[in-house]
Amino acid sequence: MPSHVPNSSGLQRLIAQLAPLLIVCAVVFALPVLLNNDFLLNKVARYLVLGILTVSLGLSWGFGGILNLGQAMSFGLGSYAMAMALKLKTVPVHTGASGLPDFMVWNNVQHLPWFWEPFRSLTFAIAAGLIVPALVAAALGWFMFRGRVTGVYVSIITLATMVVINLVIIDQQSYTGGFNGITDLAQLEIFGVAFDAYGRATYYLVASCVLLSLLVAFAFTRTKAGLIVQAIRDHESRVRYFGYDVALYQIFVFALSAAIAGLAGMLYTVVMEFASPTFLGVQLSLSVVVWCAVGGRQSLVGAFLGAVLVAGMQGALSESAAFLETWTLVMGALFVLVVLFLPKGLAGLAQVVLRWIALRRHAAAGGVAQGVGQTEGST
Amino acid sequence: MSSHLDLRDVSVSFNGFKALNSLNMSVRKGELRCLIGPNGAGKTTALDIICGKVKPSAGTVSFDGTALQDLEEYEIARAGVGRKFQVPSVFRELTVSENLEVARARRTSVLGNLRWNIGNSGREHVERLAELVGLTEQLDRPAAYLSHGQTQWLEIGMLVAQDAELILMDEPTAGMTAQETRKTAELFARLKGKHTLIVVEHDMGFVKAIGDIISVMHMGQMLAEGTAAEVEAHPEVRRAYLGSGGISHA
Repeated sequence: MPSHVPNSSGLQRLIAQLAPLLIVCAVVFALPVLLNNDFLLNKVARYLVLGILTVSLGLSWGFGGILNLGQAMSFGLGSYAMAMALKLKTVPVHTGASGLPDFMVWNNVQHLPWFWEPFRSLTFAIAAGLIVPALVAAALGWFMFRGRVTGVYVSIITLATMVVINLVIIDQQSYTGGFNGITDLAQLEIFGVAFDAYGRATYYLVASCVLLSLLVAFAFTRTKAGLIVQAIRDHESRVRYFGYDVALYQIFVFALSAAIAGLAGMLYTVVMEFASPTFLGVQLSLSVVVWCAVGGRQSLVGAFLGAVLVAGMQGALSESAAFLETWTLVMGALFVLVVLFLPKGLAGLAQVVLRWIALRRHAAAGGVAQGVGQTEGST
Repeated sequence: MSSHLDLRDVSVSFNGFKALNSLNMSVRKGELRCLIGPNGAGKTTALDIICGKVKPSAGTVSFDGTALQDLEEYEIARAGVGRKFQVPSVFRELTVSENLEVARARRTSVLGNLRWNIGNSGREHVERLAELVGLTEQLDRPAAYLSHGQTQWLEIGMLVAQDAELILMDEPTAGMTAQETRKTAELFARLKGKHTLIVVEHDMGFVKAIGDIISVMHMGQMLAEGTAAEVEAHPEVRRAYLGSGGISHA
C-alpha cells in the first residue's frame, strides 16, 4: 500500500508507533504457553474479543469523534450471523438432519424462513457478519451525517437504534429465539480445523483477529483519509472548506468501525457458544464506552488494553467473595477517577511516563533537554 | 469574459436584519481586492456567501461561470475557493505538518485517500510550506501549542497548500506584530497574480501596502470602489466613517 519509499525518519516513526501494538500482540500470542488452563484461556479469549469491540469504538469515537453508544448493535448482528450458521449445522433433535432449528419447532414454524436459508453457507454467514453491520451503520450514518447531526444527538440516535433492533430480536421469537437467543450450536469448522470454545485453536483464532483488527485500524489511521477523519473530529466545518465531503468520511469510519465490531461479535459467538439479545444490550454497549475511556480512546492499543483489563477486573471482582455486592461501585469509581484525572486514559498516562523517562535519560546524558522537554510556546 | 468572480444583487438577512442588501461586486482574475468598511458593514458575510457558509436569500454568485449559490461548501471548495476565517481555524489536535497535509487536498474522495502518506514527496512539500510561513521548528508540534500569530500563519500556509484559485482572507493580520504583518504583506504580494485574493482588513496601513483596488462596504451595500486615495477622498465613505476619526483610524 505505501505509495513511496519511506524516508528514515518516517520509517522510524512508523516503527515507534507500531511497537506497542506488536508487543501487546506478542504477549497475547504467548499467553497459552504460560496459561495451561483451558477454562482460563476461554475466559481470556472472551476479554480479547471485547478488546476488539472496544478498538472498533476507539476508531469511531477517539479518531472520528463519533460517540456511538450503540456499538454493541454491530457486535450483536455479527454474533447472530455466526450463530445462525452454526445453528443450521447442528442436527436438530426433532426433525433430523437439515431440519428446522429446535426453537422454530417449539414456535410452530413450518419452513425455514427465507432469510435463514443463505446461512447454510458459512462463507455467506462470515461475509454477512462483516457486511450487514457495515451496511446498517452506513445507512444510519447516511441519514445522520448528511443531515449534519453531531455530538450528543449521534449518541442518542445510535443508542435508540440499537434498542429498537434489540426489541425486534426479542419480539420475533420464532425467527430469532427471542429472549433465549440462539443456543446449542455446532462447532465452527474452517478448512477442517474445529474451533472448540475451550481449545487452543479458538484462542489463536481470536488472537489472530486481535492482530488483524488492530493492524487494519492502525493502517486506516495512518492513511490520509484517517488524517482527514481526525481533522473532522477537531473542527468538522473547517474540513468542508478544503473540498472534502465530510459526511462520506464519517460514514466510512462509522461503517469500518461497525465491520470490526461485527467481526468481534462473530468471535464472541464462537467463544461463548451461543448468541443472546444481551450481546446488543445497553449494558454491554455502555461498558464498551467505559473501557474505551479508561484505556484511552485516542490510542487503539490503549482501548484494547482498557477493555481486557477492566473487563477482566469486572470478571474477577464479580466472582470474588469480598466484592460480590460492590463490584459495580468499584467500576463506577474507576471510571469517575479516569475521567477526572486521566482524560486520555491509561494510554495518556503511559505517554507521560515515557516522556518523563526520556527526559531523565536526556538530562543524565548531560545534554540540555531538548525536543521532548521543550517548554510549550517557546519559539 | 469580463470578471472572474461576480456577485449580483446578493441579499441575506438574519432574523430580519439585512446583513447584505443587494450587494454587487466583481473581481478580475489575479487581482488582490481589499474589502473594508465599518463594523457590521457585511464584509465577513460577503465572504460567507462566496464560500457557501451562508446561503443568500436572493441574488447570484458566479465564479468562472459556475453558479456557487446553490452548491455545498465542499463543492465550492472543489470549484477553487479557499477561505481563511477571522478566528483562526486550524485542527488543534493535529500537528502543524498534519494540518498542512489535510489542507493539501489534491484528492478529495474517501477511497482516493486510502493510501499511506509516509512518503518523501508529501513531506518535502509540507516542509517547503512550513518554511514559507516560518513554522519549520513547529512541524511536529500540535497546533494547539502555537501562539495566536503562528496560528494565523498556519492557516495562511494551509490556504497556500490548498492552492485554491480564489482565496478569501478574513482579517489575516489580526493579532500579529508589525513585523509579522509586514511579512504577511510580502507573502500576499507573491500570491497575487497566481491567485485571486479578497482580503477583509481593518489595518489601513496593510491595505495600502497590498491592495490595488479597495472596495468599501456600508450597511450591506457597496459604497465605493477605487484606489486608496480615491476612496479616502470619497464623500460618502467619509460620512460612513463619521465619528470614528476617518477611514485610517477605523
